[in-house]
Amino acid sequence: MANPLIAGKMFVIDQSRCIGCEACVQACEECGTHRGQSLIHLEFIDRGATTQTAPMVCMHCEDPTCAEVCPADAIKQNEDGVVQSALKPRCIGCSNCVLACPFGVPKYFALPDQMMKCDMCYDRSSVGLKPMCASVCPSQALWFGTPEEFDATRRGELVFEFRFGNQLVPTKLATVVDHRDDGPIDVLAEAPKRWQDDPFGLEEDAP
Amino acid sequence: MTVAVRSRSTVDRRAAGFGVAAVVVLLVLVYLGSGGLRWFDAALAGYLIGVLMAVFAVVYRYLVWLQRPPTARLNRRGWEAFRRKGRVGHNAVGLAGLVATNLLAQGFIRHRSAARWAAHQLVFWGCLLAAAVTFPLTFGWVHFESVGQEASQYQAYLFGVGTGTFSATSALGFVIFHLLNISAFLVIAGVLVFLYRRTRDPGALAVERSGDFVALAGLFAVSITGLFLTASTLWLQGRYYSFLTNLHALTVILGLLYIPFGKLFHIFQRPANLGVHFYRDEGASGPQQRCRECDRPYASAIQVADLEDVLPMVGFDFRDGAGGNWQEVCPSCRRKLVTAAQVARVGGFG
Repeated sequence: MANPLIAGKMFVIDQSRCIGCEACVQACEECGTHRGQSLIHLEFIDRGATTQTAPMVCMHCEDPTCAEVCPADAIKQNEDGVVQSALKPRCIGCSNCVLACPFGVPKYFALPDQMMKCDMCYDRSSVGLKPMCASVCPSQALWFGTPEEFDATRRGELVFEFRFGNQLVPTKLATVVDHRDDGPIDVLAEAPKRWQDDPFGLEEDAP
Repeated sequence: MTVAVRSRSTVDRRAAGFGVAAVVVLLVLVYLGSGGLRWFDAALAGYLIGVLMAVFAVVYRYLVWLQRPPTARLNRRGWEAFRRKGRVGHNAVGLAGLVATNLLAQGFIRHRSAARWAAHQLVFWGCLLAAAVTFPLTFGWVHFESVGQEASQYQAYLFGVGTGTFSATSALGFVIFHLLNISAFLVIAGVLVFLYRRTRDPGALAVERSGDFVALAGLFAVSITGLFLTASTLWLQGRYYSFLTNLHALTVILGLLYIPFGKLFHIFQRPANLGVHFYRDEGASGPQQRCRECDRPYASAIQVADLEDVLPMVGFDFRDGAGGNWQEVCPSCRRKLVTAAQVARVGGFG
């Protein structure tokens, strides 16, 4: 498992707590390393079927797929295990990382012709400050603090691994589950399908 | 008990071979271009050695870089797209445009930050100007002679062929003799803007590395020691000149040796971006990959297929065992499904 700590703290994402308020989307723009561009993702899963929303920050993989498929060696992991945004002189804007990231994190920007991604607000987190998104999240879906704080104030257990088909992906960020012993979050096996199912039958009636 | 260990060389012989070949080609060109070394300036031999070492290392690193699976694939695809039958003419025109807008005017940097763009343009044109002056001089391809007995009239010779004459005291003569000073001012101005950004911008401060400063320090050192030479000539009656010549040569040669290893290698990597443009055009005109979940097109089929090929080469297997591949799910649906799976692990769906 990758070391989850940065300046003694860890980033925990609990998507189930997300209320879709978009405070994180606004706050992300304020990050010093990519001012004016929001890099966090917030998806409405299916507004007809559920109020659940899907926030996504970079999970900072132990072995980042984005970096491995980068033809320009532009994506580096620093000494804290934080996967940084593309190095500006190197990124050639091919979007391999955007397409290969199993979590769908990197974003390609056409005008500057480069990829940018969440770097856990490294200017803040490296000195123990909360990343912008975690500093504004009202429901603690995005949370940054010490392991002791987590144990004292939160329920659930932490997992640091995801499975996508045959691929196990260990991450620096933690996700909350009820029982850690059930293993990594197996995305293909565990995601229910019904949110894609046209819950009100509207599309069937369409001509 | 002893175990025989066969040491495996980590030197890439093919890349080294091409590196040596490039050095030999350059040496031959220097010999031919300088009229069999007749116009070769022995005082510049140190610079030539620096250039030769840099050429070897740049070629070596470039070829090793091209072997990485994603790089090799993109390199192949870019050229395939460029050479596509019936498109070569169109692509050649497009290439000229891309070189102008992308490699020379560097408009994409302006969209990152105007100050960064201005600084980069200053350093870029300053270095280009300096290289255009110094490389031909070092190789003996360009030299100057006085016209007849008239000491103030100069003639520039290119590959031994006389070109235009100019008066040393004319405005043109002033500019020609001060081209390197002009380039030094351009580079120093750019370096100062970069340095200002790097020391004041909190975001840049958080992610910068020593390498970012090494490049700036090198550019500054080369420029300022070059200006010292002019200062010595104009205002110090040539005092310290030989020491300053050595100092300048040292900074330049160290700078040349830094190019293949440090941040400045992006000079050679960046043109790959042009290949990306052709690859992208090719992908856009072909079939699109549709998301397995939402059925919306999200990328060119060719790029997704390339990634599915390349990922196993770099140690990833996103196949699901049922003939599918996580790569065939669009990034938006990936994010939704990750959340859906996590929600299922905390007792249900919201």
